[in-house]
Amino acid sequence: MDRKEIENRVKKVIARVLEIDESEIPYNANFSFDLGASSLQSLRLVAGFQEEFNIEMDEEKSLEVQTVSEAVDFISTYLP
Amino acid sequence: MSIRAEIHKLNLIKIFDPKSVAVVGTNNVKGTVPYDILFNILKSEFTGIVFPVSPAEKSICSVKAYKYVLDIPDPVDLAIIVFPSAVCHMALEQCGQKGIKGVVIISAGFKEVGEKGLEREKQLKQIAEKYEMSIIGPNCLGIINTDPYINLNASFARKMPEEGNIGFLSQSGALCTAVLDYALAKHIGFSKFISFGNKADISEIDFMYYLMEDEKTKVILLYLEEITDGRALMKAAHEVISQSGKPVLILKAGRTEAGARAAASHTGSLAGDDEICDAAFSQAGIIRCDNIEEMFNIAIAFAWQPAPKSNKVAIITNAGGPGVLTTDAAIRDGLRLAEFSEETTREFRKSLPATANIKNPVDVIGDARADRYNIAMNGAFREDGVDGVFVILTPQSMTDIETIAKEVVKVSKQYSKPVYTSFMGESDVAVGINILLSNKIPHYILPESMCRSFSRVYRFYRDLDKDPHPQRIYTDIDTETVHEVLDEAIRNNHLYLSEDEAGKILSIYGLPVVKSQLAASPDEAALISLNIGFPVVMKIISDDIIHKSEVGGVVLNVNSVEEARNTFTSITEHVLQNKPHATIKGIQVSKMVTSGEEVILGIKKDPSFGPVIMFGLGGLYVEVFKDVSFRVAPVDEAIADSMIKQVESSKILTGIRGKAPRDIKAIRECLMRLSQLALECPQIRELDINPLIVLEENKGCYVADARILLDSPDTK
Repeated sequence: MDRKEIENRVKKVIARVLEIDESEIPYNANFSFDLGASSLQSLRLVAGFQEEFNIEMDEEKSLEVQTVSEAVDFISTYLP
Repeated sequence: MSIRAEIHKLNLIKIFDPKSVAVVGTNNVKGTVPYDILFNILKSEFTGIVFPVSPAEKSICSVKAYKYVLDIPDPVDLAIIVFPSAVCHMALEQCGQKGIKGVVIISAGFKEVGEKGLEREKQLKQIAEKYEMSIIGPNCLGIINTDPYINLNASFARKMPEEGNIGFLSQSGALCTAVLDYALAKHIGFSKFISFGNKADISEIDFMYYLMEDEKTKVILLYLEEITDGRALMKAAHEVISQSGKPVLILKAGRTEAGARAAASHTGSLAGDDEICDAAFSQAGIIRCDNIEEMFNIAIAFAWQPAPKSNKVAIITNAGGPGVLTTDAAIRDGLRLAEFSEETTREFRKSLPATANIKNPVDVIGDARADRYNIAMNGAFREDGVDGVFVILTPQSMTDIETIAKEVVKVSKQYSKPVYTSFMGESDVAVGINILLSNKIPHYILPESMCRSFSRVYRFYRDLDKDPHPQRIYTDIDTETVHEVLDEAIRNNHLYLSEDEAGKILSIYGLPVVKSQLAASPDEAALISLNIGFPVVMKIISDDIIHKSEVGGVVLNVNSVEEARNTFTSITEHVLQNKPHATIKGIQVSKMVTSGEEVILGIKKDPSFGPVIMFGLGGLYVEVFKDVSFRVAPVDEAIADSMIKQVESSKILTGIRGKAPRDIKAIRECLMRLSQLALECPQIRELDINPLIVLEENKGCYVADARILLDSPDTK
């Protein structure tokens, strides 16, 4: 899976969880600070990524992921 | 005052009197902290402007929201950050760029969660320093200012407290909500209510100085879980109390830790943190409370009533038993029952029933209504010798509780003397208690609590008027030599100084060390003992031997030259049999002091309060009863006296059962010299003088044995 595809699917999850339009999600936007994700929504984002990509992520490390770009990098490490 | 403290002083004014507040990281989810903070500010009818800052919302509670704090077009005085901890630094950075000087960080997930959280907290502090901002928190409930010109409830507490003159500071946010609920039920109002959480930047000390200057605050209450800098806390409390006359009450958690410490006769293990904390608070004039109830019992007395001019009180009761109980409690707490003048007695005899007790405590009898309370209260208040009135009520079938409560309020308003009440019971008296409390008349369920509270208030004002004792500085001391000896020992990692080495240091500091000399041979021992004068004590000196008696290294009562010579040989033989590889420095020959009382003195370096001085009587009194006292250095004459008096067993020193009194003056001087040693030589971790033998009055005392433990070279 190439980076662009991962990015698109990450944005799709973010848009669904945070109830915002995909076009309103900049690549370097911080989930909490720029997009307003609460602590609970951050947990839902992690769950959403796992489900979307069918992967099992390290929970502690995944909560440190705060931007779309970081999410793409992090998820890539779990993909073949 | 440090630069940061100066910055906090300025910023705290804006924090508590902001013209505009931004709630940074708020949202529209009811029942969450980010929402409730904004909602509470709006609900409390804050007199300034509120700016919600929310990345995802256009408006919250019908108020326009901004995506970033930098988007707010107007100046902002105070920011309340409620973002998740991982992004608080980003919000704080923007607050700095915006020129906001005061910030409250509500969010948790910092020092309290471990290393990563601590790093985040440090990052916040760095940003605050860069922009000269001041932070309250993180991990706190928020702040409240009840001033009607401000009305700020920037917290997630359920309710806004009543306006009042108590400033409340708490390290625990959860305790704050419990206290608020308790206070609301008892009509206790606050001037400022501050939850400071992890105190990453602004500490309780900065808040104390702020509340000292705050005109709305009359009493300062503080709940603390950890004392970071005990000396600074003592200094701040002392300055606040002496400069403003405002009492400082502290509820410090962790009383029981010391209880588990093993009994042993050396300062290190006798000095539990809590005993030191007690001593330090008392020295600084802080009133330490054991629980929330006691804290507020005393606080309302300070906050609502004038200061008593003396400890003479009048008790008015409608029941004999409670009158007696109150009298007992009053006497136990150091109060005195005022004697009524002829005029008052005549008035009471004329106006009260024949069965009433017209002397103090005045018993207006069980069927008393408001008129009898009126007569008794007016009589007591008018009496010159009365400086406080206690009104007690028990609910009989004919007792008109409500009217009597109103009468107490009405009559007490006419006088400038304090009145305290105890309407005993719970259900029936509730209506009266509510009237009393809502009219700022202190009420106590138990008369004992009433007496104790009055006593604490009286003692606070009495001690406030006391002249400070100047600290005596001894100039007959060669400090340089002592430092050379101690530093050299630390360099060589020789941290445990034996009796002869400790003796030298104590001698330089003017402590009367028993005359002694080290002998290297039997003949030398004989010569030294002849010079010192018989009887003598002979002891082995070796770095390899700590417990001398156990290896046959101590012989008492050596009475002749021949005996001294033989003892040298026998001690050496015994020691080498028991410890064949011990390096023997020699045998110490000392004057044997008899017929003295043994006491122990010590130094312990406390991580928070610094050097602490200890005093106790030797033997069982220390080992079994732990009958010792502590004070934070410096120790002046008055403090030394109080240390000696605090120890129950020290009565022995005053001469009992025909024994001559001991030289207490000499002990006092030793304590003061020891205090100077402790302050001037911070290399000393622990020091024990055990025993100090105290002779009869005016005959002095002698250090018979002493040990010093030094800090290791890597101790900062």
